Amino acid sequence: MKQLLLATALVPIAGFAQAQCSPDYSGVTLTVSTQNGPFIASALKTAAESWSEKTCGEVEIVEFPFSELYPKFLTAMSQQTGDFDVIGFIPAWTPDFAPYLATMPDDMQQGAAWDDIHPVYRDRLMSWQGEIKSATMDGDMHMLNYRADLFEDPANMAAFKEQYGYDLAAPVSWDQYYDIANFFNASDVVDYGTAEAYRRGGQQFWYFFSHAASYTNNPATPGAMFFDPETMDAQINNPGWLRALEEYKAGLEFGPPGSLNNGSGDVRPLYSGGSVAMNIDWADSGVLGATEGSIAGNVRTAVLPGSTEIWNSKTGEWDKFDDPVASPFLAFGGWQVAVPSDSTQQEAAWSYVAELTSPEVSSVAIVTANTGVNPYRLSHYENLDSWSDIFTPEEAQSYLGAQRASLDSPNVALDLRLPGFFSYTEVLEVELSRALAGEIEPQEALDAIAAEWDKLTDEFGRDAQLAAYRSSMGLPPLE
Amino acid sequence: MPSAASNDRIKHLFLWPAFLVVLLVTLFPLIYALVVSFQAVRLVPPTPARFVGFDNYAEIIQSARFWGSVQVTAVIVFTSVAFQFVLGFALALALHHNVPGATLYRVTFLLPMFLAPVCVALIARMLFHPVLGPVNDLFTALGFEHVPFLTNSTLAISTLIIVEVWQWTPFVILLMLAGLQGLPSEVFEAARVDNISAWRRFRDLTFPMLLPLSIAVIFIRLIEGFKLIDTVFVLTGGGPGTSTETLTLFAYNEGFKKFNIGMTSALSFLFLIVVIVFGTLYLAAAQRLTKRYR
Repeated sequence: MKQLLLATALVPIAGFAQAQCSPDYSGVTLTVSTQNGPFIASALKTAAESWSEKTCGEVEIVEFPFSELYPKFLTAMSQQTGDFDVIGFIPAWTPDFAPYLATMPDDMQQGAAWDDIHPVYRDRLMSWQGEIKSATMDGDMHMLNYRADLFEDPANMAAFKEQYGYDLAAPVSWDQYYDIANFFNASDVVDYGTAEAYRRGGQQFWYFFSHAASYTNNPATPGAMFFDPETMDAQINNPGWLRALEEYKAGLEFGPPGSLNNGSGDVRPLYSGGSVAMNIDWADSGVLGATEGSIAGNVRTAVLPGSTEIWNSKTGEWDKFDDPVASPFLAFGGWQVAVPSDSTQQEAAWSYVAELTSPEVSSVAIVTANTGVNPYRLSHYENLDSWSDIFTPEEAQSYLGAQRASLDSPNVALDLRLPGFFSYTEVLEVELSRALAGEIEPQEALDAIAAEWDKLTDEFGRDAQLAAYRSSMGLPPLE
Repeated sequence: MPSAASNDRIKHLFLWPAFLVVLLVTLFPLIYALVVSFQAVRLVPPTPARFVGFDNYAEIIQSARFWGSVQVTAVIVFTSVAFQFVLGFALALALHHNVPGATLYRVTFLLPMFLAPVCVALIARMLFHPVLGPVNDLFTALGFEHVPFLTNSTLAISTLIIVEVWQWTPFVILLMLAGLQGLPSEVFEAARVDNISAWRRFRDLTFPMLLPLSIAVIFIRLIEGFKLIDTVFVLTGGGPGTSTETLTLFAYNEGFKKFNIGMTSALSFLFLIVVIVFGTLYLAAAQRLTKRYR
């Protein structure tokens, strides 16, 4: 009788527990995989905890070294092993992964949370050949970081104006960028002018792309930055790219000795440690400078410099503009998550993705140390208060303002996304390194890259590559 | 009583499983890689295997980057092994003669060998850092300009050689010291009684008696040296340009960046051929040298 009473008493409690699981995924265990933590993986773990609390489902996070991710995911998905329910990957791999990814459910593609994602990520990076195959969980782009204490110092401002004839401020063109780099490099107020990554294998090519976007991402010829969007002929040896390479190489003069061996990991502490007046980097430099460096309070961020001349690959001439046109480059593009179509728990998997990328969970992730998550929702850019633990109000405004302005720029440049991405970039890195080291002339290097890119395109199938490239650039399929 | 013929059959019955296992474990991967080396096959983007004969080999042989990496590997390996042997032998002799503090030296000298090459490369990267490194600090303190250890082609190769020598000389010390301790003391005592100088004792006794060991030690170091990748990867990434790209780093880039499996297999076999040809020549020369001292 006692047992019966106890059982009767437990029924409402059990019902209450059941009601806590909404939607109820009790007994479901999702396998979620990405690179080794803490970056990105820690954000997935935090979201896993809140998702488990809500749904009673379990999440197992499986981490691999970054270099292992691509072959692991591709092999598992192409062999339909069903190993992973959610994968965390980079946009460059979308062309190769897309055939094996499930399409995002319609109900996730509407509502306030959907509209809150910045359109550049939502409509361009998350979309592949007209379908939403992934969800952005991290926003990424190259920006210019500079030091307010140096740029706003009256003595520096006066000396700069006297020397160059215009006001010292965040550069809006690459010419101004090199003027400022030269000015600070020659001055005693800071050790060096600027820092960029030049090391092969140190993400150098994204830095080169950031320069090239300004001279090749012509609004009159959309999608023609890397390849001709009608023939798939490589464009990387045109005069716009040549100018970018020559300038990128010239930047070595304004950095610390041995800059040729600096990767992106070296560029960050140079800025945050106060050794340079500026640097080009992802959002990491700003956070590092405000939290761990010697320039706290003086971190300022701006949109990448632009140019008044952009190469027109159709006419074969430079198009001239009255004011510098900014072509902010979405280097890397940020981490994304997707659900492989061979997952047997797709509904639960998408539910987890919705939790991870929800405004509530993601707004905490972007201000949590070592998550590696940067803003990508409109609400992320608008809520300055949530950044108060990291930045001063001025820093936050500049940091978020530069990111938002980059994304809102009408001539924003998307990163290369193409099947065989690493084959193309490997060729690029080798020849680029040779040109930077002075082994060969810049034009010779670019011609060699173009020839190899055309060869790779033919090897992978020109028509298939062309279709993929057009899709990655947001262009409709050719008739 | 079983006949001799049936005994023979039973013997084979026991031998074949082991033989098959060895065949499967040792030879199958090599045969598989050899087959793949004659195919155009990529993991990314996935392309179905297509027989291309010797095209992969021809492409590699015509590639300036391949020959550049062969040259870089040869320079680093031969120079560093030469230094390792001379230094290692000299230090082993010193330790063998019980210089004061020999026990401490013995432990200290051996330490670098126990470090993982990646750690050694990281330490070296900090030491030779153009701005923060103590080596450049020293040069600056002495009034010299910054030395671009890792961004000048010649200096970068020299730095790699220094790191290799630092890490692997202890290996030579260890083996040569063991060899020295195994030499018969009577011969040396007799030489001392006959007032034979230390140099002649070394030239006519120690060196010839340790020649077979020296040949083996150099051979092991050369073969190991050819596999050099981790130090280069961390220290220079193969740069500046491709001036420090070794054969193995070249193969790694083809295999794990371009996922060009056919080409990588062909490259691995060319690497194997280079090592076999070199090893055969080396051993033939070593045999002639040994004969001369007999």
